[in-house]
Amino acid sequence: MSSRHLAGKNIISLDLFTDAYRVTGYTTVGAGGIQAELANPNSNYLELKNAYISRIYQPGDIIASYKICAFRKDNISFILLQDRRDGIPIGTQHGPSIFTRGRIANAFVTVPAFEIVGDIQHDGKIAPRDILVQSPGSFQPFFSAHASAANYPEITYGGDLILVHKELIGIFCLNSNKKQ
Amino acid sequence: MAHILVIDDDEQLLRMVGLMLERGGHTITLLDNPMEGMERITAEEPDLVVLDVMMPLMNGHDVARQIRNTHGLEDLPVLILTARSQEIDREAAIKSGADGYLSKPVTAQELLGRIDDLLMVSKPEVKRPDQGLILALYGMRGGTGRTTIAVNLAAALRQQSHQEVCLLELGVSGGQAALHLRLHPRSNWLDVQNGEGLNWSVLKNYLTLHPSGIRLLAAPAVPQAPAGLTAATVSHLLDLLLENVTFVIMDMPTVLNESFEMIMNKADMALHVVSPDVVALQTAVNTNRLLSQLGIKPRYKSHILNQTVPDAPLSVTAVERGLNARVAFHIEYDRNQPRALTQGVPLTLTPARSTLPTVVRRMADVLWQRVTTES
Repeated sequence: MSSRHLAGKNIISLDLFTDAYRVTGYTTVGAGGIQAELANPNSNYLELKNAYISRIYQPGDIIASYKICAFRKDNISFILLQDRRDGIPIGTQHGPSIFTRGRIANAFVTVPAFEIVGDIQHDGKIAPRDILVQSPGSFQPFFSAHASAANYPEITYGGDLILVHKELIGIFCLNSNKKQ
Repeated sequence: MAHILVIDDDEQLLRMVGLMLERGGHTITLLDNPMEGMERITAEEPDLVVLDVMMPLMNGHDVARQIRNTHGLEDLPVLILTARSQEIDREAAIKSGADGYLSKPVTAQELLGRIDDLLMVSKPEVKRPDQGLILALYGMRGGTGRTTIAVNLAAALRQQSHQEVCLLELGVSGGQAALHLRLHPRSNWLDVQNGEGLNWSVLKNYLTLHPSGIRLLAAPAVPQAPAGLTAATVSHLLDLLLENVTFVIMDMPTVLNESFEMIMNKADMALHVVSPDVVALQTAVNTNRLLSQLGIKPRYKSHILNQTVPDAPLSVTAVERGLNARVAFHIEYDRNQPRALTQGVPLTLTPARSTLPTVVRRMADVLWQRVTTES
């Protein structure tokens, strides 16, 4: 896990993307992972510590760094994590969590400046509308996913979990041939 | 062992990386301020620099670029260690002048393995001798620590020489070398049993690579019939290894099968491992007598006295008198060894200066000097 444990809280490392920037940093999350922080109705902002900012088209070059950085949640296109346990609760010994049960389907979505491909897991009808309406929170988990910059397709980012902002999804395509 | 300078602004991670490197036997300098990086590198002249990328004021790429642009530091190996784990981040690291890249979180084995690779590449190449050297560690009594010495010797030779070292565990009573090295071999010598169509590239697939660079042909985990591998297969294996490997270390079976006899006659050096107790001594004396009766004469033979329990029932003099031969290397009881076995880290790969690693390193020194002198 790319996280460190601190008195019931985890410090996790993540890559956060807007339509023009990639920001790498750390944030503190509880047992619900980053998904719970994103769903917290008491704040419209997500805070990142030790934030390192790159432009999407020069993703390896760091243009600025700050000790602390806040993002408006509705401006985040997606969040990339190297370990799904940092993003969502994956369940207990009694069964999978709400995010990790149901059938698996391969999906393709677009958000501003990016295309994302990965696996969606949904406990219900495998249809774009149903998934978007029924899945919890405002960010849809894509497992074993990768994102490509729409205008720079050679620039890709991969991770165990990508949380995609549902409000910013433009195209949503599905293949429901994968079974759990 | 190398001097490594680590630069990371996160003090906790810095200490953790430092600990990993120290356990790997390296000397370290830790620095949490990248602005002082160049000054310290110039002053301390490390063998390798480990750099974090995400640091305030000056990121790791900038430090790597400065190193490359400084006269005299162009060839200093630089390893980037970063939480940015994408392929494009690896490309950016290499573009900035780094020689290697690892993404966090990293295990000690990954880190030490990568560092060894970089140090080996940066070292002036030592000419490989025309042919490899076969070292056979044997003893008909189990429990004398033969596998422990074989594993530690392999690790020490690899560290000392940076040459290819292969450890062949030929025992028939269940493999143990993998435990010493915390490896999970997918193959063992049963896979090369018939030896047909075996060439170096095929054989390499059966050898399990340890992060330190040792290649292991493990014994099967479950006990086998005493016959073990046929002499023809072992002979073919040795021919292949001698062409490609500098040191072939054979952890011999405790049974006198046909391959045992063949190896003993082929070995450049046979090391008889004995422990200081009456039963082991009696077995050793009888083994020497039997080998002599069978006409098995290794080119060079010596005895290693390995004390595996805290209180030795017999003194070195008593053992030498019983063997009617001098003990070339005496390893006193090392209380660190049980823990090293549990952790799966040979003591010669740690900074430990206790009896076992000290003596085994000396053995490796002697062997490596012999190879370099002859070549």
